[in-house]
Amino acid sequence: MSTVLEVRDVAKYFGGIRALDGITLSVPEKGLIGLIGPNGSGKTTLFNVVTGFYVPDRGSVWFRDSGGTWRIDGLNPNEVFRKGIVRTFQTPRLFKSLTVLENLLLTPIGQKGEDITRVFYEKTWRDQELELARKAVKLLKTFNMLQYANLMASELSVAHMKMLETMRGLMTPATLYLLDEPAAGVDYPQARELFSYVKRLRNEQGLSFLIIEHRIEILMEFVDYVYVLHNGRLLCEGKPQEVVSDPRVIEAYIGV
Amino acid sequence: MFGFDIVGFMISWLTLFGIYSILAITLNVESGISGITNFGKVVFYGIGAYVSAMLTTYLILMLNGVNVSEIPPYNINGVILLGELGNKNPALNIGLFLLAIILSFIVAGAIGYLLTYPILRVGPEFVGFTLLSSGELTRIFLLHYEPVGASKGLMGIPNPFGWIPDSRIRQILYLMLVLGFLALTFITMKKLVNSPLGRTLKAVRDDETAALCMGKHVPKIKATVLFIGSGFSGIAGALLSYYFTSVNPNMFAPSVTFNAWAMIILGGFGNLVGSLLGAAIITLVDRALTFIIPLLGITVISPDYLRWLIVGLLLVIVLLVNPRGLLPEKPIETPASKEMKRETGEEGG
Amino acid sequence: MIPGFVQTLINFVQYAFFYMIFSLPLTLSYRTTKVINFVHANFITYGAYIAIFLNGIVGNTSMVFASLSAFLIVGSIAVLNNLLVFAPLQKRGSSPAMVMISSMGLWIAYKYILYMLTDIVHFYTYKNFVSYGRITYSDIPSLSIGEVNLSQAFVAGMFTVVVIVLILYLILEKTRMGRAIRAIADNAMLAEVSGIPRSLLINLTWFICGGIVAIGGVVWTSFSGAVTPEVGDSMILQVFTTGFIGGLVSLLRTGAGALLIAFMENIGIALLNAYLGIPVSFRPFLTFVTLITTLILFPPLGAGGGLPYRFLKRRSEKCSDST
Repeated sequence: MSTVLEVRDVAKYFGGIRALDGITLSVPEKGLIGLIGPNGSGKTTLFNVVTGFYVPDRGSVWFRDSGGTWRIDGLNPNEVFRKGIVRTFQTPRLFKSLTVLENLLLTPIGQKGEDITRVFYEKTWRDQELELARKAVKLLKTFNMLQYANLMASELSVAHMKMLETMRGLMTPATLYLLDEPAAGVDYPQARELFSYVKRLRNEQGLSFLIIEHRIEILMEFVDYVYVLHNGRLLCEGKPQEVVSDPRVIEAYIGV
Repeated sequence: MFGFDIVGFMISWLTLFGIYSILAITLNVESGISGITNFGKVVFYGIGAYVSAMLTTYLILMLNGVNVSEIPPYNINGVILLGELGNKNPALNIGLFLLAIILSFIVAGAIGYLLTYPILRVGPEFVGFTLLSSGELTRIFLLHYEPVGASKGLMGIPNPFGWIPDSRIRQILYLMLVLGFLALTFITMKKLVNSPLGRTLKAVRDDETAALCMGKHVPKIKATVLFIGSGFSGIAGALLSYYFTSVNPNMFAPSVTFNAWAMIILGGFGNLVGSLLGAAIITLVDRALTFIIPLLGITVISPDYLRWLIVGLLLVIVLLVNPRGLLPEKPIETPASKEMKRETGEEGG
Repeated sequence: MIPGFVQTLINFVQYAFFYMIFSLPLTLSYRTTKVINFVHANFITYGAYIAIFLNGIVGNTSMVFASLSAFLIVGSIAVLNNLLVFAPLQKRGSSPAMVMISSMGLWIAYKYILYMLTDIVHFYTYKNFVSYGRITYSDIPSLSIGEVNLSQAFVAGMFTVVVIVLILYLILEKTRMGRAIRAIADNAMLAEVSGIPRSLLINLTWFICGGIVAIGGVVWTSFSGAVTPEVGDSMILQVFTTGFIGGLVSLLRTGAGALLIAFMENIGIALLNAYLGIPVSFRPFLTFVTLITTLILFPPLGAGGGLPYRFLKRRSEKCSDST
């Protein structure tokens, strides 16, 4: 089994604060990996480093796709996306003035209709767009969201917004998904549903997931492996049951 | 006494409307749809005006064998010569006009493109103020720059139809030309907006960081939009220079930018037809007040002041009462979107 | 040395006074209200014109009286702006850019109201108010120290700056209301703890800021030989740049900015003129360059576009096959 994402001894400092102090972790192909830790432990910072928001002060990040292994730390966020890494946010960042369908049509890479030299000649991009639109509609059907296709993205429920965020990635050949607290703001049944979808995607399409989550009960049920962050360092790692009963982890959460 | 030349009024209003509409439409695409608050409209407009003025006046003289280092176009003799030579050769006039338009587009567009980069790091209010100041600075610079006539500017710019003896026909033809460019701008912008690129622009406006995360090269997109928008603004400036047959540094007044903003706020943020509406209303109010106020016999205060006061207050009132403007933002219509609406409309819910 | 150096030095200090009087309130108002307020230019102009009208119509020569009137009138205008326009827009959730645009509309409106007033007054008094000469006040002394003559404007400016800085310091540091005003900028909730309603604090800030700037306008009338209704507009670049240097947050840095800009516009341009032949009227360019530099290198707080995009070439991707 090869590794899709490798974080090697990554550190990130803000002034005197050590947000990340030497993190090493990896996501295997088709992995469903959890990332937990108390508030301020550096989870979102790690995501920000991997997705190009920050340049790490030390260490490197490597991503493997069908073309080989690439070093991605220091790339800009749009370049990271194009490599095949999708990232969602704690509070869904959808485009409010676009419809659900349009949000989905935004992500496919290499759209001829976005090219300034072709945009004025509709013939050159019309077919491609239609094809993408059909693909989006099929995707909506799979997720039982076809009835929302022409609604404004802002009109969706929170749970559906979160699904839409992930679905945007499914319109591209992305292989790695970084989900930031997908269960935040939704109730328990909805959260389980979200995670089952994620598991389905992993099983059916071979995608890999690294998931930050606070609701450990849900996470533990779905993930294969867990990393625990605390104060910017890796506290421990292992299978969900091992980690959850590790005294250090319990202390970290209660102590905070 | 009421020898009100209605035809003349209509022509002058519509010509001004045409020119300003170009500014309003491009501003709407830049600020209303792409979220780039552009407070420097006047800079591109003025550059276009000056480029076309310089090109035309210098070339007309030089092509007629005049030594421009001795008799430059801003010199009084140069102006006289321009008057004589300027309207002799129709092909030359029109040819220079077309060349000037193209050059104005390119130069103004290039400057717009370059301006994107320094302003990327900073929030829109600060960008706005900086761009506003750059207009003022351009004015001061040109005020001292000899080759463009310094404070007097350039005069006697030969109109592309200057060789036509009847002034009314000349005006009407020029109006057709302006409206033609307006149509070109409108169609171009409409196509731009109703496309996947238009979708991306709205996304950048809504949340540029998220757009970046979705693979969009936000800086390049903004630079492209400013290139096109500024280019067309340059054309508007060129059209104005031919209309008034003169340019001077005072063209760089912040009022131009201000008017354009008033037009898109009034007409509707994000709605291109709304920009036309806003431009029509404001230019009409402007022209009408110029005619009416002297008729009302208000001699105590200058009519200009009242006009400006009304426009300023109008802007504030519109913002307070109906910030969306008269026409709402339209959804993007691409061939795929239309077809999808049909399909999902039938199958959905 | 450069001819007239002493006078240039005096001018530098004089302008520093003015820029401080005009921009400290700008920083304070933005910090508290988060509004980029173009009417600030009108504060200056109206302050000057209140003094001018008092002088030209009723023959007032007391700077103290003019200052007091200007403070009260312009302060009220500032509060009115907020009550009628800024606060409603902000409550509705308008973007800062929209609020700025509304302030531009007000700026234009106020400017032309003033122009109309000058026309009306001219109609009745036959005096020209569109360009008004220097006012000599009866209650401000001018000093002579050795060979150096310090004009009325200098003395008034110095006095005003000292008083203003002192009062601002006392209010903002020592009084509960002042501390609450400071708190709003940093943490709105903390300000609520003071028990003073937020809207009152904001309106008070507007009142003080507008008023102080107006006093500066009054002092300006004793300095400038030709005051026009464009006087505020002509300084808006310098005043805002000074504010930006202070990050629109730090009063201290704003003060430093005032010194910097005044320096460049007087001594800097004199040097450039003497050695490089650059025309003196190009001084705004120096300021503009400072503005751009400041914005690029030290963006004001809250001004960050926040786009995490880096233009610097990062290490090129290495494709190695590990694992």
